[in-house]
Order: sequence, then C-alpha cells, then structure tokens
Amino acid sequence: MRVKELGTRHAPSAIREMFSRVVRGHGPSISVVRREIPYWRERGWTRDGNNYTGWYQTPDAAFHGWIEDSWSGNINFFLYNPSAQIRRHSHWSCFAPRDGEWYLVHMARRPKDVSSGILTIERLIREAYQQ
Amino acid sequence: MKKLSVVVAGTGQIRDVEIQPGTTAGDILHQLNLEDYLLSRGPNEPFFANAESVYDKVKDGEKIFASTKAEVGIALCA
Repeated sequence: MRVKELGTRHAPSAIREMFSRVVRGHGPSISVVRREIPYWRERGWTRDGNNYTGWYQTPDAAFHGWIEDSWSGNINFFLYNPSAQIRRHSHWSCFAPRDGEWYLVHMARRPKDVSSGILTIERLIREAYQQ
Repeated sequence: MKKLSVVVAGTGQIRDVEIQPGTTAGDILHQLNLEDYLLSRGPNEPFFANAESVYDKVKDGEKIFASTKAEVGIALCA
C-alpha cells in the first residue's frame, strides 16, 4: 500500500469558502443606497443651531472654519489662521480680521447655502496654492 | 450617452441625468431647473461655463456638484 490514511482534518476556512462559492455560484448582488446629504455634512462639518464648524479641505491644505447662518439670511464664513499662500492671493483683502486669528471671508456674491460657500472658499484655497 | 449624478450641494439631493454628446452645463441646469447654480466636478475643479460641453469632460456614472453662485470679494476686490 503506497498511501496510508492518517486521518482527516478541516481545510482552512478561506479554502472552504472558495469551494462553496464555486458550487453555489455568486450570491445575490446587494444594492447600496446612496447617501443624499448636504456637502457640508459630507465633508465632516458639524452643525449646532445656526453655527457650523469644520474644515475647508483641499489636497494642499485644510483650514479650520466656522460659519454663522444668521436669521436675516446672511451667511458669514470664517477661516482660522490663513496661511502665507492665502495671504498672497489676490483676494486676501477680502479677509477681514476678527478675534484671534479668525478672519471673516467677504463674499461679493453671497452663496444661498452653506455648502456652496464652503465649495467657494475651498476653490479659493486651491487657487492660492496653485499660484 | 453618459449617466451623471448631479448632487445639489446645499441639500445633498441627487438628480440622475443622461446626457448626449454636446450637452452643455446650461442644458443640464435648465433641465433640472437649477438655473441659478453652477456645475463642477468638485471643489478642486473649475466651474463649467454655461455654454461648455460637459459630455467629453465627465466619465459615465460620475458624480458632479451643483452649487449656488458665490464669489469671494468686496466692492474693492476684483
């Protein structure tokens, strides 16, 4: 006798799973529900009443932000501690200093919602770093 | 034909559209009744001009953003 059976043992689970897939085929596909959330939330900003805090994020840099959505309909955008690149941007004069290192970002054309303002400021930051 | 998902930035609402070659950003915004908005592929990309053809600049199934027009500046700023 050339082969002597010494006993049996279970194959590793990964191999068992592979074989069971071959036998039963692929399982049913799962439909993933899309999240329909505003841009500010998608970017990790948080809301407390009419105030939002978060980060203006670009591939080059991120800056702490604060947004005040006032009852009058005006939305004020603040950015903390702007970098040298932002200070060299042609729109630096549109940053008005406030308490500490916070700056109010003036909008010549005001966005109608918080998300659009965040997108606009992130675009400006991107421009500042591409100059 | 290409399929696009237009995310309305303010609400997060997603509007699915199908576009043909030559479709402009203005065509899409008009179709979606978002005339006061601008389209972009994201914060790191420029806005599409209203008359700009979008078809050859997006991938099939891509998500693009519609945001309201806004501009940093004050009266003295350019």
